[in-house]
Amino acid sequence: MKQVGAIALNTFKETIRDRVLGIIVVFALIMIAGGLWLGSISLGEGGRMMKDFGLVAVTLFGLIVAVFVAAGLIHKEVEKRTVFVLFSKPVSRTAFIVGKFLGLCATMAIVMAGMAAFLFVLVWIVDGGFSGMLLLAVLLIYAQLLVIIAVTIFFSTLGSAILASVLGICVFVAGQLSHNVLSLSRLGQNAATEALSWVVYVIIPNLSAVDVKPAVVGEQVVAWSSVGVWLVYLGAYVVVCLGLAVAVFRRKEF
Amino acid sequence: MTQNAGCVRPPLLEVAGLRKTVKVGFRRRPVEILRGVDLEVHQNDVFGLLGPNGAGKTTTIKTVLGLMRPSAGSVRLGLPDLSRVGYLPENPYFYDYLSGREFLSFCGQLFGIDANVRRERVDRLLAEVGLEAAADKHLRKYSKGMLQRIGIAQALINDPELVLLDEPMTGLDPIGRREVKVIIQRLQERGKTVLFNSHILSDVHELCTRIAIIRGGTVVWQGTVPEAMAEAATLDDFFMRVIAS
Repeated sequence: MKQVGAIALNTFKETIRDRVLGIIVVFALIMIAGGLWLGSISLGEGGRMMKDFGLVAVTLFGLIVAVFVAAGLIHKEVEKRTVFVLFSKPVSRTAFIVGKFLGLCATMAIVMAGMAAFLFVLVWIVDGGFSGMLLLAVLLIYAQLLVIIAVTIFFSTLGSAILASVLGICVFVAGQLSHNVLSLSRLGQNAATEALSWVVYVIIPNLSAVDVKPAVVGEQVVAWSSVGVWLVYLGAYVVVCLGLAVAVFRRKEF
Repeated sequence: MTQNAGCVRPPLLEVAGLRKTVKVGFRRRPVEILRGVDLEVHQNDVFGLLGPNGAGKTTTIKTVLGLMRPSAGSVRLGLPDLSRVGYLPENPYFYDYLSGREFLSFCGQLFGIDANVRRERVDRLLAEVGLEAAADKHLRKYSKGMLQRIGIAQALINDPELVLLDEPMTGLDPIGRREVKVIIQRLQERGKTVLFNSHILSDVHELCTRIAIIRGGTVVWQGTVPEAMAEAATLDDFFMRVIAS
């Protein structure tokens, strides 16, 4: 457990001090601020536009950080041969993978908190009030990104960092659409298509189930009990992905 | 041509018939790197592992550490686990955005060393490898020689019984080499066992009690330095003769 903590802290320090991360966050803040301009040309919908656009920017830049940092997390250790130092000590592969994941989760928490704080300030300026729903929406985006980090770490143990990044983004996009695919296949009334859609629906994490962005702008009422169940499902998904990553990584030689 | 010194001390590390085959290229062609390595490293030895590039020295060390799995043969370590082993990899590279002090502390944490002991040990090791002034600098600002020295410090953070050093003198200037040699000598004085790879035979001559020469994945000679010197004028001559035979 101490080893997991040490690896997590080390990963946090290493990733949070990376200049590239700082540059991405600056771009994210500029894009979030772009919501002010969109709000100004949207005739009385400034607050709504700010929230909507801001959450999309938070999701997009959160995804970029999650996928690209997670994809390089394991690869950098192998390519730069820092794994020699780690695994020549009594460090298990499980502690390594879990520590790396938790370290990046901590970094993501800081990144998300920074972007969210900036968005809250802008929404307060435009709307004149604080939105609790906005905070929940950011927390649920964070939950989705943790799944993507775990998925990307798993892919990075199988192939290159670029492939892991691409697959990580693909899973995020598919996760937003998987329930639509299932609904559409039911309309077609083709048993084979519906069965295939079920397989896709089970394998791909249903990220849209915890997406409350529409509720933030008043377009939807959130069924919180359902969101809770889906969060448990996403937690289990993370555990499975990390378990698979450990299984693959255990077989590797350096 | 393999010799045995008839050493009475118990072997701390015993490698027997170690073989390693790796698959390379698109067609997964098998290449045999180790073809039966036999080694005996005794307690308090300073053991030199010599051989041309690609002979299998690094692979042998990696297999001892469990970084690679042997295809055949055995490695017997006279220690409970890796917690009493220190290792410096060849051409070490560490975490760019950590300072030397943070990195050593991190390595200490991996061994579960108590915070107070760790702090004291990190300070002592930084002084020992001459990096006190650069302790709080990020590792990406370290020169190659400084990285080599911080690498040696991390290999000693757990006060190991057995220290494996893969090319510890590489990239060091004469002063740095002198310092590493002093560290190895001090380790021996403290009863530790050191195994290192090197191409610098004058250093091997100066430091080692026993040596093994590997060629083509097999140990072709093993014995004490005086035994080697009895057969040739210099260690260089002896090495060249063994490799050529």
